[in-house]
Amino acid sequence: MPLRCIIGWMTIAIALIAGPAAAQQLFDESKYPAFEGQWIRIGPIERYDQTKPPARGQEAPLTSEYQAIFEANLADVAKGGFGDDPVYACILEGMPRAMNLILPMEIVIKRNTTYILMEYLGMLRRVFTDGRKFPDDEGPSWMGYSIGKWIDADGDGRYDVLEIETRNLKNPRTFDASGVPMHKDGQTIVKERLYLDKSDPDILYNQITTYDHALTRPWTVLKTMHRERNPIFVEAVCAEDNLQVNIGNDHYMLNSARELMPARKDQPPPDLKHFDRPKN
Amino acid sequence: MRLRSTAVLASVTWAAATGAAPAHHSFAMFDNQHPLEISGTVKEFRFVNPHSVLIVEVKNPDGVVKDWTLEGPAPGIMLRQGVTANTFRPGDAFKGTISPLHSGQAGGSYFPPQVDLSNPVAERK
Repeated sequence: MPLRCIIGWMTIAIALIAGPAAAQQLFDESKYPAFEGQWIRIGPIERYDQTKPPARGQEAPLTSEYQAIFEANLADVAKGGFGDDPVYACILEGMPRAMNLILPMEIVIKRNTTYILMEYLGMLRRVFTDGRKFPDDEGPSWMGYSIGKWIDADGDGRYDVLEIETRNLKNPRTFDASGVPMHKDGQTIVKERLYLDKSDPDILYNQITTYDHALTRPWTVLKTMHRERNPIFVEAVCAEDNLQVNIGNDHYMLNSARELMPARKDQPPPDLKHFDRPKN
Repeated sequence: MRLRSTAVLASVTWAAATGAAPAHHSFAMFDNQHPLEISGTVKEFRFVNPHSVLIVEVKNPDGVVKDWTLEGPAPGIMLRQGVTANTFRPGDAFKGTISPLHSGQAGGSYFPPQVDLSNPVAERK
């Protein structure tokens, strides 16, 4: 057998033996940005646009139809109702609202997937970075299906930006706690760019653009987060002691004895037609 | 950051002063346009999710003592700003301004003075 052939077969044999180990060595952590640790939002709580006041102050570019829906929601809240925000019932915030970061998050970069672990409601995002396409047959979810791409923006041989696109989102979702609405068709697309501050590696930015049919145009905001060097980790189990109750189409509250109470003035009690009541 | 004195709360920052309460959906039941000052004795402090619950025994003008159920921020927010499960103990005196329930029932929302929802990072620096 010619020497070339021997070398060729030996190369193949070595590759077969060393394959898995070699593949692991391909994931060089040093090429990825230092996204690890706990990230806390910088700025006020529960706003899509951190730079603006809540509710109408957000100046959401809503269509006239969805502006009317938003106003009706605010009118309900003003009377003590819950409006259109579904999260009071411990439903996940979903995207993009989860990135408002009521509570901190952590980012874990692995070879084919980047995980974003969110303390609030235990939300988990998986961002697939293996080059896959969006599936045709995957059902919607509140956190959606995310595909990411690492970018070496400054050409220094290391990745510094994670671009993410998220689709397959489930309803109901709102942009924030004030009830800025999203379209009932669930066709939201969220695009993000995550990157560290060049001068302060403990500052993380997330430029988020949301495409939604409730909007007149794409809505872009910049989120800023700070890395907590002495983190504490807290469970946030929403169903632990939720005093807010939804019965039928109305909302009530429980008092300290877990007795049902009205949430609004002159609120009628819920319908008790399924309960046997003593005859007078 | 560790908790401060738990003996007496001198005052409770009205939620709307921080601009925070109107932004949170599940505080919609509380009327932050008409704050109410109450004083009484802590009966129980539940350091639970989604919102902490402080139960205060308040004596009405007619002498009848009633339990007021006050919802506050989540433990994950308060722990990072110095409020723990031991910050309010049964028997502590309580005096503060709350956002009462729209319904007029004995309840409302409160935010301990240590908690700043406007910028949790700035608060800790």
